[in-house]
Amino acid sequence: MKDTRSRRPLATALLLLPAALFLLLWFAAPLGELLRLSFSDPRGALAAYRELVTGDVYRRVFANTLLVSVVVTGISILLGYPIAHVLTRLHGARLHFAFWCVLFPFWVSVLVRTFSWMLLLERNGPVNAALEALGLTSAPLPLLFNNTAVYIGMTHVMLPYAVLPIYASLVRIDRRLLLASDGLGASPWTTFRRVYLPLGMPGVGAAAALVFLLSLGFFITPALLGGISNITVAMLIEHLVNERLVWSLAAAAAFLLLGVTLALLFVAARLVPIGQALSER
Amino acid sequence: MIDRRRFLQTAASAGLVVGVSPLGLLHSARAERPFVFTSWGGALSAMEKEAFMDPASKLFGTEIVNTSPTNYAKLKAMVEGNAVEWDLVDVGGRFIFQGRDQGLLEPIDYKIVDVSHLAKEWHVPYGVFTSTGATIIAWNTKAFPEDKGPSSWKDFWDVKKFPGARGLYKPFYYNYEAALLADGVKREEVYPVTDEKVKQAIGKLKELKPHVKVWWTAGAQPPQLLSSGELAMSSAWNGRILDIRKEKAPVAMTYEDGLAWGNAWVVPKGTPHKELAMKIINYAITEPAQERLIKIGTYGPVLASVAAKASPEEQAILVTSPQNQKRMLVMNEEQCAIYSTKYEQQWNEFQLG
Repeated sequence: MKDTRSRRPLATALLLLPAALFLLLWFAAPLGELLRLSFSDPRGALAAYRELVTGDVYRRVFANTLLVSVVVTGISILLGYPIAHVLTRLHGARLHFAFWCVLFPFWVSVLVRTFSWMLLLERNGPVNAALEALGLTSAPLPLLFNNTAVYIGMTHVMLPYAVLPIYASLVRIDRRLLLASDGLGASPWTTFRRVYLPLGMPGVGAAAALVFLLSLGFFITPALLGGISNITVAMLIEHLVNERLVWSLAAAAAFLLLGVTLALLFVAARLVPIGQALSER
Repeated sequence: MIDRRRFLQTAASAGLVVGVSPLGLLHSARAERPFVFTSWGGALSAMEKEAFMDPASKLFGTEIVNTSPTNYAKLKAMVEGNAVEWDLVDVGGRFIFQGRDQGLLEPIDYKIVDVSHLAKEWHVPYGVFTSTGATIIAWNTKAFPEDKGPSSWKDFWDVKKFPGARGLYKPFYYNYEAALLADGVKREEVYPVTDEKVKQAIGKLKELKPHVKVWWTAGAQPPQLLSSGELAMSSAWNGRILDIRKEKAPVAMTYEDGLAWGNAWVVPKGTPHKELAMKIINYAITEPAQERLIKIGTYGPVLASVAAKASPEEQAILVTSPQNQKRMLVMNEEQCAIYSTKYEQQWNEFQLG
């Protein structure tokens, strides 16, 4: 199938043109302008970057953002993998229903879901009531306005992004390879560890990259569910843009985040074949 | 024709500030369009439309479009992109000074706006306050009975006498004043801001920080968190608490030690309706316009003469009534603008703690 691509270069170029133009006009050009803005600080071209790099507060906000993203990515993969595996075992109506369950949250706005978590996790909310009724806790747990709430809220939003790439990868694994491993005397654990897991890794890598990237830009969920110290780069940028009106600093923060993200992705791509799962058909 | 740089600027600000029309420049600001008043939405916009804009529209025989919400970045993008779509904007008091310093505002034309009858706290060169509110102490009545609640910021800090989770506003704003008052600083000595006072305020806030469960960002949070019992006590905006008390929620409040503030109006630089904007500001601070605020009952009048005419029950909930004025500190927004930016680093460090 790969040949058709090279055989019709003109058609391919024409088909890509609208998307390329759209991106150029509405993504590349504004991004360039944003870059210019980041060097427009009245104190000097590099002043905004210098302030961000040398400021202790900004470093901690960046570290906090990366930490939250890593944790959410980890939880999403751990929860998403079994779901994706079960999905590969389902057929017909059951598969449709299960997929519907995975995708349903996409239809509800993140804001609504975040507010719902506020109601569920509050001191006298249903989660604490259920834990106490089951005798698991004797006093209400502090579930809201801290890291726990941020992790729960963000993982809820991110889970479908983890399930789908993993599913796409697992469903393509040739079942006969598992039978062969079994026939050669491997235990189910060994088959999982040495055959199933490595073959599904591109999907896991793609899921991790996707979840991690989206988590880096999170704003609403940590802002509403987090405590006073849960400041992410996106929240910082919002504050610099809307309240402080120092756009050079905001633009520099955005580019610093972009730079850190690209660097991390570059490193991750060396370890896990991320692109493979997304491009392979 | 628009040149390339201008176009990119607009495209960038559209990307930066969601909602600014990228076509703003194509239909030029100079084109005839109706007068636009922008405010924060909710009860405030509703009050301003009923008390000020609808009557002004009739009085001046012109259409007035009411929009919301106010967004400082959008205002900056409009002024700097030379595509001003708002003619009169309700802002937080601090923005009068921030906007002045960034060159985003027209000075108020005091030849048109008559402030001879308005107390000096409520008018400055680049903005006029047209209605009032306050940040007060509110509490859950199941935690403390209505008549035995806290009556000062000292009480708010006293977690032995009044145990339970606290709520405070997330920015340094309000907290600077509250902490100093709690630490025994006299009302008349809260301003001007100094390095020592900022250190003192942050030190006092550190004391209470372990008990502050929620640092709220939206006015709707304190009434909700107080009535659900998530918080025992919180700073809150008076209008929100008055509102929820009408629904018999278990929440009480006091004006004692309250922080009084006003809703400020500013005029974006380059508006094609500058003169009309000044006339509407002038109209809003006349007695007939201000009297409507008492009937609406959300935000109070700025005119003391109007507040004094209200009935005793109405006066009890008015920020500018003589008995409440005595109990409150009026926020100095110029000083607030200073501590909000100059000491931002200290405040961020306190937050990350």
